[in-house]
Amino acid sequence: MKRLAREICIIGVGMHKFGKFLDRSLKDLTRVAVWNAIHDAGIDAKLIEAAYFANVLAGLTTGQEGIRGQVFLRDAGFEGIPIVNVESACASGTIALREAAIAIASGLYDVVLAVGAEKLYLDDTARSIQAMSTNTDVELMGGLGFQFTGSYAMSLHTYMKTCGWTQEHFAKVASKNKYNGSLNPFAQYQRPMSVEEILNSRLISWPLTLYMCSTMADGAASAIVCAKEVAHKICAKLPISISSCCLQSGEVTGIDDGQRHVADNAYETAGLGPKDIEVAEVHDAMAPGEMYRLEKLGLCKAEEAGKLVDEGCFTLNGRLPVNTSGGLAARGHPIGATGLAQIAELVWQMRGEAGLRQVRGRNSSYPKVGLAQNSGGYVEGSPAALTVTILKR
Amino acid sequence: MVDLALNEDLLHIPDSPDDKPYLIGSRCSICGYTCFPKKLVCVRCRRDDTMNETKLGPYGTLENYAVMQVGPPDFPPPYIMGYVRLKEGALVFTLITGCEARDAVLDIGEEMELVVKKIREDRDGNNLLGWKFRPTEKGTAL
Repeated sequence: MKRLAREICIIGVGMHKFGKFLDRSLKDLTRVAVWNAIHDAGIDAKLIEAAYFANVLAGLTTGQEGIRGQVFLRDAGFEGIPIVNVESACASGTIALREAAIAIASGLYDVVLAVGAEKLYLDDTARSIQAMSTNTDVELMGGLGFQFTGSYAMSLHTYMKTCGWTQEHFAKVASKNKYNGSLNPFAQYQRPMSVEEILNSRLISWPLTLYMCSTMADGAASAIVCAKEVAHKICAKLPISISSCCLQSGEVTGIDDGQRHVADNAYETAGLGPKDIEVAEVHDAMAPGEMYRLEKLGLCKAEEAGKLVDEGCFTLNGRLPVNTSGGLAARGHPIGATGLAQIAELVWQMRGEAGLRQVRGRNSSYPKVGLAQNSGGYVEGSPAALTVTILKR
Repeated sequence: MVDLALNEDLLHIPDSPDDKPYLIGSRCSICGYTCFPKKLVCVRCRRDDTMNETKLGPYGTLENYAVMQVGPPDFPPPYIMGYVRLKEGALVFTLITGCEARDAVLDIGEEMELVVKKIREDRDGNNLLGWKFRPTEKGTAL
């Protein structure tokens, strides 16, 4: 794996709260997230030279199919710069970050904006669900009754048979993430839930119950990306380095191969390994998915995952805090914004700005190394876009 | 109300009692990679001159499945979605029929058979026909 030609860092992050905002447009969500990131960095907004805009379903949910980034960022005050639209289902936000980093590494720019915004709540839920199903090959899956919940359920069945994972483990993971979400002012769901309440909620597809699953959400998240050698000249904030941000499409050879390969590439590029990770945000559209994401990332062994969940290993005070933001099921999953919301959470944790949900790193200070895993869509039985990002303080 | 094919290029629908359904896929003449649906380029060799159209099915084994207790419009729950690995090697996403839609009703690895069934209706109330799979021995289609 080749490395980027320049060192790249994040100097500002911002979000619009995730949730249900029927009275706010994508312009509103975008503007708030972008300016929160600009104010967070404390830079003159005129320094931003280019922007990458991630969105998935605005065409279907609002009718704004073309020039989404140009429309929504014009409202946020941006004109006369390159604006590039990015779409790869739920991985779109991370890919916007990655493209921003590559653009800076190319030497063309020093300061680039990455933003993801999504609006999934409509007056018509059936239309929202229909729109979500387009994140597959619609000819082969989306139009034939495929649901992402079923895909998570199938993966979990396999681990339940071979590794002793139980529905109670899954409810514990969901309960942990609901608690984390209750401490996150930007989370969609801010009410803690007991394991019993989660187990007793409506069955969606065994072993998944309603409160283990993400729902529709509106929201936006943003990051200001900068060349490391420029950061200290324009910004007083502690820069958080992007050690690696790897992307690949799924592989036909096996459902899990792509997940492992992209993680291996991310560790190798960063010159780090699973043991170095002190905090992680992983893609858990259904909260129990957290367990198999961790296994694919080499952060735990599948056979030990259940025991580690029982021991509280992945809680805020645990050995490896995971989804401190609440994860997708509690923080919310406005799909084009999710990747950058993961990044915002890692940056806050690594700066020590995560408030009541702040975790400690190995040496009692804030975490030095954080990992985000974000994937999107389905093609021929495996995720369409796979990403792993490693950040370092 | 008439029967219409949902994916005419992907599935052969029998037109007589002696005719059998099959899926239309491709096989690479170099590496043997077999896929569904039909493709003109081999994704393993990344060559455009090695793929030949081939009939796939009707038999395969159940790779995995999930019983859905909620459904999108046109797919009333409960229903079963899953993946079948065809004898020829290709993986197919499919709805599963011919058994009750409840958990633990099927075994991973059990033999499945291709059938042509109504997937959903179009806006005019016509039946859209496509592929489904059913367990080969467990009894009658629903």
